[in-house]
Amino acid sequence: MMQTAGVKQTMQAKQTVQAKQTVQMNQRNIIKTILSRIALFVVMLWIVSLVIFFALRILPGDVAAIIAGTNSSVERYRSIRTQLGLDRPLIEQYGSWLWDIVRGNLGTSVITGQAMGERLTVRAAVTFPLIIMSMIITLAMGIPTAVWSVTSQHAWVRTSLRVMSQILGAIPALWAGLLLVMIFGKGSGFIGILPTQGFPAQPLSSVSTFLTACASLILPAVSVGIITAAQVMRYTRSALLDGENANHIAWSMTAGMTYAQAVRTTGLRLALPQIISVAGVTFASMITGVLTVETLFNIPGIATILLSDMSERDLPAVQTELLLLAAFFLLVGLVIDMLQRLIDPRLRAQQAHTNQ
Amino acid sequence: MTKNETTKNDTVRNGAVRNGTSKKVMNKRMGIILKSLLTRWDGLIASIFCMLWIAVSIISLVWTPYALTFTDGYNVWSAPSSSHILGTDGAGADVFSWLMAGSATELLIVCAVAVITAVCGVSGVAVSVSRNSGVRGISVVTFDALISIPIIVIALLCAAPWGASIVGVIIACSFAYSLNLMRVVRPSAITAVRSPYVTFARYKGISEFKIFWTHILPQIIPSVIINVSFASATAILAESGLTYLGVGVPSHIASWGRSLSTAANFVTIHPSVALWPGVIITVAVIMINLLGDALRESIDPLTNAELRRS
Amino acid sequence: MTKKHRQQSLSAQLANLRMDVDSSGAVDSSDASLDETLNQQRIKRSSRVRSIWWSGIASIVSVILVLVALTLGYNVLGASSASGSVTIGLQLAPTNLDIRNTSGTALDQLLIGNIYESLLTRTTDNTVSAGIAQSWDVSDDRLTYTFHLAENVTFSNGDALDAHDVVWSINTMMKEELQGSTQIEGFESVEAPDAHTVVLKLVAPYSQLLWNLSGRAGIVLDKDARYDAKTQAVGSGPYELSKYEPGFYATLSARDNYWGTHKAQTKTVTVRYYPEPQAALNALTSGDAQVIAPISSTLSKAIEHDSRFIVRAGEDTDKYVLAFNNASGPLTNKSIRQAIRYAIDNEAIIASRGGTDAALGGPIPSLDPGYEDLTHVYPTDISKARSLMREQGYTQEKPLSLSLTYANTYPAEIGQQLVSQLAKIGIRLTVHRVEFATWLSTVYKNRDFDISLVDHNESHDFFQWANPQYYYGYDNKRVQSLYSQAMQASTDKQRDELLAQAARIVSEDAPADWLFNYRVMTTWDRNVTGFPVNLNQTWMPLWEVRVR
Repeated sequence: MMQTAGVKQTMQAKQTVQAKQTVQMNQRNIIKTILSRIALFVVMLWIVSLVIFFALRILPGDVAAIIAGTNSSVERYRSIRTQLGLDRPLIEQYGSWLWDIVRGNLGTSVITGQAMGERLTVRAAVTFPLIIMSMIITLAMGIPTAVWSVTSQHAWVRTSLRVMSQILGAIPALWAGLLLVMIFGKGSGFIGILPTQGFPAQPLSSVSTFLTACASLILPAVSVGIITAAQVMRYTRSALLDGENANHIAWSMTAGMTYAQAVRTTGLRLALPQIISVAGVTFASMITGVLTVETLFNIPGIATILLSDMSERDLPAVQTELLLLAAFFLLVGLVIDMLQRLIDPRLRAQQAHTNQ
Repeated sequence: MTKNETTKNDTVRNGAVRNGTSKKVMNKRMGIILKSLLTRWDGLIASIFCMLWIAVSIISLVWTPYALTFTDGYNVWSAPSSSHILGTDGAGADVFSWLMAGSATELLIVCAVAVITAVCGVSGVAVSVSRNSGVRGISVVTFDALISIPIIVIALLCAAPWGASIVGVIIACSFAYSLNLMRVVRPSAITAVRSPYVTFARYKGISEFKIFWTHILPQIIPSVIINVSFASATAILAESGLTYLGVGVPSHIASWGRSLSTAANFVTIHPSVALWPGVIITVAVIMINLLGDALRESIDPLTNAELRRS
Repeated sequence: MTKKHRQQSLSAQLANLRMDVDSSGAVDSSDASLDETLNQQRIKRSSRVRSIWWSGIASIVSVILVLVALTLGYNVLGASSASGSVTIGLQLAPTNLDIRNTSGTALDQLLIGNIYESLLTRTTDNTVSAGIAQSWDVSDDRLTYTFHLAENVTFSNGDALDAHDVVWSINTMMKEELQGSTQIEGFESVEAPDAHTVVLKLVAPYSQLLWNLSGRAGIVLDKDARYDAKTQAVGSGPYELSKYEPGFYATLSARDNYWGTHKAQTKTVTVRYYPEPQAALNALTSGDAQVIAPISSTLSKAIEHDSRFIVRAGEDTDKYVLAFNNASGPLTNKSIRQAIRYAIDNEAIIASRGGTDAALGGPIPSLDPGYEDLTHVYPTDISKARSLMREQGYTQEKPLSLSLTYANTYPAEIGQQLVSQLAKIGIRLTVHRVEFATWLSTVYKNRDFDISLVDHNESHDFFQWANPQYYYGYDNKRVQSLYSQAMQASTDKQRDELLAQAARIVSEDAPADWLFNYRVMTTWDRNVTGFPVNLNQTWMPLWEVRVR
């Protein structure tokens, strides 16, 4: 036993040394990579801005018609259009929007008259806690159960975890929300202990409103979180059992590790890039994920204004919202990419190879 | 043992679907895959469910217990009874008939999303690992940029000009899941590209397409299958969400998401109407996932011993 | 098997390995037992497994603990509504607060009578009463209106309200064609002879003027105040706006220095918006809201027998108008329009909605001038409808295809029922439920529709039928002349008779089917009094609301 432990330690030490050397060798490459990634980030954002701006202009109807309503004259509608600058050429509108964004001016929502910066900050203060809460539930439930479902000695544990992940991952968020409301909803559920709608106006004004705010997010976060947790678990599990990964696990075992050890050390580490990638994609797609529950639980988040601004054709607001969301996603992507490179020497080596 | 077995192993190592494999061998392999699929418990259950699903969908096209145009304003939200097995909805229409008809819509969405996602996703992966660094760079940048557009936005963009439609749901899901597939599968494809036989094949001057088809695709097939099954299962979930938000399947077309959303607003007084669509969506998603898992294990020579021996 | 061989066929082993894992959980135990080291390893493995097991459990348990702690904390310390405040749950939120530029009755509902005040006010049965103008005189030719304003009227910012503010408000509205300007027909001038008198002159008599001046057309704004009208509001009403988040809530606080008799009885009133009916009901039952208007009458059955709440149906002017395209397409054919009116079973639609709505056979609802019961004009008669369709060459086997376009804010069930009812007489109806913006552009602006459905909830809106430019495309010279006579009528009685006559002609022409008159169900906590039941979707004065 001592012997095996020794072998393992040597192996680990060797790996660390190798990794350090690789890092030193590729340090310049990494800085170069980071810079090029940031440049790419800007290019991607520009592509997205183009797609967003012109795709939105396909939509029928405009904000002037919404403002004018059903009892106004055509002249009134035209004058609102001119006043809002909707009759300018598209290229000019695009240019001035982009120039404003570059200068850090997010503009003003036509329909609500709020500054976009303020509008988004207020809503992000609701949506991001919700997303983070869902994400914590997702990761804290998903990854341990995945490892557990691979390594457990008991067949019934493995089976029941797999079955559970299959069932939970297959529930529509809307239905999960409805079921949770019926079970825990204050005023309507069997165990009425949690609020099912709304969010306090000033969550940080006192302890009690803060607790109310947190409590308001529990049911929405759980309805999204358990579903994504099950999905992350499935992904992690399949990454751990991945063909190549399994090869490495088997090799580790021939070096004296047990299956559980091999999965935890070699398997998990090799699967990490994939897990991070999946977690990142999940995180980024949470905006869509929380949209249904924000509507169902009547929570004033970003998803809700996106939907209402879109239906009111407040395009200047919508395009800014979408661009900022895209920037957020891309930033997450950038971070994931960097993390993957940091963790997976294979990708780093490839990068070095391409750079040469 | 020894010589005979080594040869077999070589076959495995050179790729399960070797170029030039005769049609007969192909057919035999298909048979083996199918057989192993049907001998696994999960594969068997999932296959039976899918057959049932297809059968119900076909039947619903010609017959449902009540016509879809049937409504009875004096008998809304009625409890299950002998005349309406699952009761009636807010317009007095038969819930069971609408669920039956919904299965056809759902089948269409699932199949379309699966095919489009597989084709577009794999092509995207092929482009993003191609030898030409310019093409590779541009494609990776574009895909990574586009993935940042949320699925709901695409659905909204599709829904706004023509109203909510099935096509809109299919486009939105396929768009998002293809990009998702590219992103998730790309690392395995990159690993495959770095393998010695790809390098060797490239030195030999074999065309990029052929290399992808014979060497890279077989390596990424298991993870593609998982992703496609995930995409088609998620499409059902997405359909219910999008329909609830008014940008999915239009309200005059039967779908499970529609049945769930019409019930959502009356859940406290008529919980049973919300129960069935939810159950059926969950079961369908589980079955698609099981099928994906079973298919992956059956098609992967690493896990299917019989396929390896053929 | 030897160890050497194992390494040679690793892939094959791997498959076995996983199969072993799946079937028994012990990894290749027979092999392992051959090797002493590996055998010892098994002991270590179980401890490893346990540590993984524990770290997994720990993370799951800690998340659950945090959630439970938050739940407990909320139930012990969570915010309960403070005394002296009422929360009112409404459904449709205004997009912004700019009442002079933005359409929609959600704005009238929230602001008029609460934050802004008009020259005149309304009673609960939809007639005009004194407001800022305490009394008024009308000249014999009905062209000059003299209003005598109340004294000591102030705006919430402290400015005094006098005749110059009134003149400025009406003049800018008319000049810039702001919302409400179409409601003063034949406007000539408005002047302020002194600080408390306003004289409004018309070029032609207009019998609806006074009622219109109790709404948007009569809102009096502070000519000296500078504020962002989209997010702020400065008016002379009993409340001032203290906080506003578009689409979610508006908090109104009682003004201490309010000038009139409508002094607010509750210090703080919060208006919250619940687009989903289920969320609104949950807000009521969990105590987050004390009043819900409207509540769907199907959902109200859940609290019907709950002694904590009171449920009432109010009268309203909401008309669900199933408008036909009278200007182009197959529905220019009167027989088909008539067939549709005979085919529609309004009673069944009303029953499916919970049975509280009232049947409506014509363009004027019961609370508006000129109402008479026109439901007998086109009773439900399938065989008559069928024969009308057959004459036009359409049967169930050879149906006429029509499309119905309506905004997705209205229930899908109505469309579903119409499809079903019209299928019986040989019409294949295709439903397009679209966003309101799309409806505005395709139906309202481009007139690209066969049948449209809108809840026209404004009161006094018969002018739609006298205007051939309106999206209905309904052009009947007789109706137009009756309407203009009614608008110039000298007495209310004469006006009402003329309007009723015009409404009867409109109904007989079948340019639309009036599905029903939506009666809004309101529910409130027993301890709350003073919330208006009638007309509360367009006119919702909150000054009387209080909690016991």
